[in-house]
Amino acid sequence: MRLFLLLILVVLGAHRSVEWKRYTITGTAQGTTYSISYYAEDSAVTKSVIDSVLMSLDSSLSLYKPYSRINQFNNSAKGIAIDNHLREVVKKSIATCKATNGLFDITVQPLVRAWGFGVTKTNTVPDATAIKNILSCVNTKLLRLKRNRLIKAKPCVKIDLNGIAQGYSVDVLAALLEKHGIKNYIVELGGEISVKGRKQPSGEKMKIGIESPNEDAFENHPLQKIIELDAGAITTSGSYRQYYESKGQKITHLINPKTGYPHKNELISVTVYAKDAITADAYDNALMLMGLKQALAFVERRKDLAAYFVYKNANGSIADTASSAFLKLMNP
Amino acid sequence: MQRRNFIRQSGLLTAGFLVHQQMLQAYGSTAVAKTISIGIIGCGDRGVGLGSVINNMPEQFQLKAVCDVLSFRLDQAKKLDKQNNLGYEKDYRKILDDKTIDAVIIATPLHNHYEIAAAAIKAGKHVYLEKTMTYDADQSLALVKLTQQYPKQVLQVGHQYRYTPLYFKVKELIDKGYLGKVTQIDCRWDRNWNWRRAVPQGYTDRQVNWRMYKEYSGGLPAELLSHQVDFINWAFNTHPDEVLGTGGIDYYKDGRETFDNVQTILRYNKDGMIGNFGATCGNEKDGYLFKLKGTKGTIQLLMNDGIFFPEKQTKSELETVDGVTGATKIEWNKDGGIPILKEKSKDGSWYALKEFHKTVTENLKPVSNVITGATTAFCVHLMNQSIYKHSIETWKPEFNLV
Repeated sequence: MRLFLLLILVVLGAHRSVEWKRYTITGTAQGTTYSISYYAEDSAVTKSVIDSVLMSLDSSLSLYKPYSRINQFNNSAKGIAIDNHLREVVKKSIATCKATNGLFDITVQPLVRAWGFGVTKTNTVPDATAIKNILSCVNTKLLRLKRNRLIKAKPCVKIDLNGIAQGYSVDVLAALLEKHGIKNYIVELGGEISVKGRKQPSGEKMKIGIESPNEDAFENHPLQKIIELDAGAITTSGSYRQYYESKGQKITHLINPKTGYPHKNELISVTVYAKDAITADAYDNALMLMGLKQALAFVERRKDLAAYFVYKNANGSIADTASSAFLKLMNP
Repeated sequence: MQRRNFIRQSGLLTAGFLVHQQMLQAYGSTAVAKTISIGIIGCGDRGVGLGSVINNMPEQFQLKAVCDVLSFRLDQAKKLDKQNNLGYEKDYRKILDDKTIDAVIIATPLHNHYEIAAAAIKAGKHVYLEKTMTYDADQSLALVKLTQQYPKQVLQVGHQYRYTPLYFKVKELIDKGYLGKVTQIDCRWDRNWNWRRAVPQGYTDRQVNWRMYKEYSGGLPAELLSHQVDFINWAFNTHPDEVLGTGGIDYYKDGRETFDNVQTILRYNKDGMIGNFGATCGNEKDGYLFKLKGTKGTIQLLMNDGIFFPEKQTKSELETVDGVTGATKIEWNKDGGIPILKEKSKDGSWYALKEFHKTVTENLKPVSNVITGATTAFCVHLMNQSIYKHSIETWKPEFNLV
């Protein structure tokens, strides 16, 4: 009898179709929120696993944790031994700096701080002399990656990974899901997203909303877009939320590492699509700083990138445009 | 950024966008129009309050004179006299005889509304008449009839919520079906005090605390609940068919005649809705409460805030995206609600007076006009009839005004 029951169970088990469930994990990390959804039979990955991974990322990359590797590096005179996370991100950062002709540069940290967007927020505008002095410490060439050591040429060289760490973290979380055999998921951290597979059991593609800027209280998102993705990552950089005003000028948190001054051109936001989130995230700020014409040309030259731009016309109206690859994403 | 926000922005606020454009057009461009000279009749809290709003609208209004039968009220109105050029009158007829005054604000005790408003219309004045429009139904019918003979004069009733962007937008959300089928409305306007004003030496309680006396006041339904009753009439383009009310002097047994605790049930047949309108002077936990409950969601309104709570099913239907990419996250309401308006609105009276200026200068019919004011006055009349007579009151054919 027992054997018979067992046999039935085995047979049933073999013929049982997959029972998909949607698991959603949400929480806060890196000063923002995250949301992970995946489709599986069981809760293969739990919140505590996610949170411990996020904690290890913070311990490495966050300026907000005094004990973090990045702070240890910034406080050091010559450099320190670094962990895997920091090495991966710095490696990618150096490559992106080269590719963007210096517009993406993690050594921008002293400038970001001077303009009031560092760990402590201020609304004081630095003068030209101060900026000139700081610029002598800002250049990726002052960094050197030597095996497991990150070396700086001057003590004043400090790095800020805020323009890339979230994208990297999204990739780390996605890799974690994949390691547990999850093939249908969406990972979002602070508006940076990575997607793979489809919703189950419906087989629908994942839908991603692109938040549209809202500079004027009366203008409520006339340009909002939704795209469907099979796989890949999508991130957005915008000047529309983190800024302050000084003498009628809008001071945004995006600082140009080459000039030392905040972003000031027609672009309001750039949304980038790439294979992985670290790539998309690394390029979105640089594209913001390029201005529309140059950014569009830059993306068109790159097979691995697609981008969507929201910008302000000369007459003040808000318009949008996209690279040809991104247009295909919007109208498949 | 949260998925919920994307819902908000893709749906609700698109509606809001339209409203704002309309509101901007309605309220934004008044550089051309002329200044209306104003006399205020009745200088209690409401009259003086409207006076200070008017003083802050110098492009639209110039306050010329104030009037009250009580000297201490006139003294209180002196704070409106910024340039030391106000006229002070005890007899409202002097204001009406003053040819330099274009329009009057009437903010007297309720029992005077009809007499003064009718005299003002006959004297050629435009009228901003505080709510409730009249003391009883007959007076409303008479005022409607009278104003029809003076089509060039504006009579606006002070149901100011009709003019605030928030309430305006709520009406639009209802019209667009965001709430689904609304079956229940819960309204309260509660307080935990005796609702009395101090009586200065030399004055009688009847003069100052007129709200306590049936002869002068419609009690809590007229002075408070009429706003919400009016909003429902407007938002659903309806009126109740049956009214059932109860009440008593349940806590403040201090010689008052009007009730300190009332509850009314208004049945709207055409709309299949029940409205519960209540007020007490014996508890302030709910304070101002206004909930509209539909099959798809609930709107909860405060005076200047509104929140939409989708029902469970609606929530999942609204969640059209799986993720949102954006610059940074936005905070959202912890109770799972979606705020209806982001920016704080101005006081409702400001919007209402803007409208008054526009309708007078452009010879338009106000949204809160003599007909809608009468309809709400009928509701209040039936509520009080039911409360005082222990009866079920029904809508009368003569209340159907065109």
